[in-house]
Amino acid sequence: MKNKNDTRKENIQKLLLRLELWFAPVLIIVPIGVSFFFLWDWYVRGFSTGSSLYDGELLIGLLLLTGNLMFDIFFLRSIRILKKKQ
Amino acid sequence: MFFSEMTARDAFKLTKKKMTEYQTEFLERMNAIEVDAHWFRRVFHTFAASFLFYYLLPDEEWIKLGKIVLPIIIVLCMVVVEYRRIRGDLDHQRFFGLRNYEKKRPASYLYFGVAVLILFLLFPQQIAIPCILCASFTDPIIGESRYYLGKKRAYAIGFIISVFFFLVTWYRADWWILILVSLLGATGAVMGEAKKLTFVDDDFMIQMLPAILLLLMWQGLLAMGINMLPPPLLHPL
Repeated sequence: MKNKNDTRKENIQKLLLRLELWFAPVLIIVPIGVSFFFLWDWYVRGFSTGSSLYDGELLIGLLLLTGNLMFDIFFLRSIRILKKKQ
Repeated sequence: MFFSEMTARDAFKLTKKKMTEYQTEFLERMNAIEVDAHWFRRVFHTFAASFLFYYLLPDEEWIKLGKIVLPIIIVLCMVVVEYRRIRGDLDHQRFFGLRNYEKKRPASYLYFGVAVLILFLLFPQQIAIPCILCASFTDPIIGESRYYLGKKRAYAIGFIISVFFFLVTWYRADWWILILVSLLGATGAVMGEAKKLTFVDDDFMIQMLPAILLLLMWQGLLAMGINMLPPPLLHPL
């Protein structure tokens, strides 16, 4: 039982030290969230009022979304490949 | 009564045991995940584009103050962390994805942060936005295509992508300004990426070089009575 507890503690410590594992979801979720916010902002302030003033929000939202998705796919694929190798 | 009490206790023990087993298994699974440092760095770059959210923050008095103070505090924290890492107080191994040459000098994320801070505080958004986009997307795209296509083609692709960013963000400017700004900005971005300096990282140069070139152009044209800046692209909430 004590041994089990030790391995658990060891695992938790290891996990806490691996900052990349904590960062990875943030690096994927935040930009996608921000890009959707830009798109939503364009829709609410620009599209629904018929104003072209907010087209910049649409452009930046689309750029953020496509750019990030492109790299996220490769990033997630690399994690899967490494998992398979193990 | 006694019988039901015993089963409840047993059920509790069994659940606890199963929870512990599940937790151990989950921790082991999490620890088994390997993250590719190469792609981690690339995604870190593209993540930085979300800092553009800064320009959506409202223009109220206290938020205006926060828009100046908060980025400075964040960069100062990064400076402290880097100082402690270089001194050896913080283990280099804890910083995932750092390159070997970054062991004894500030890591590129600090250069990136300082450049974004300068752009936010000292440059108009019309200049800052395409420069941040170049650092976020052009840099990793050049890095990736360099592997497969060689340096020259990679820089050509980087140039085209940078031109695209400047065209998109300056689309409200006059056509001759749009062309001049796109060519000048993209040239600055690619030169900033291509020229490797010992003490200044390319993540800093790819943002600052086009920004300074455009700032000079803007001020030069202003002196001649022409304001080349288009209306702002992003509007505070």
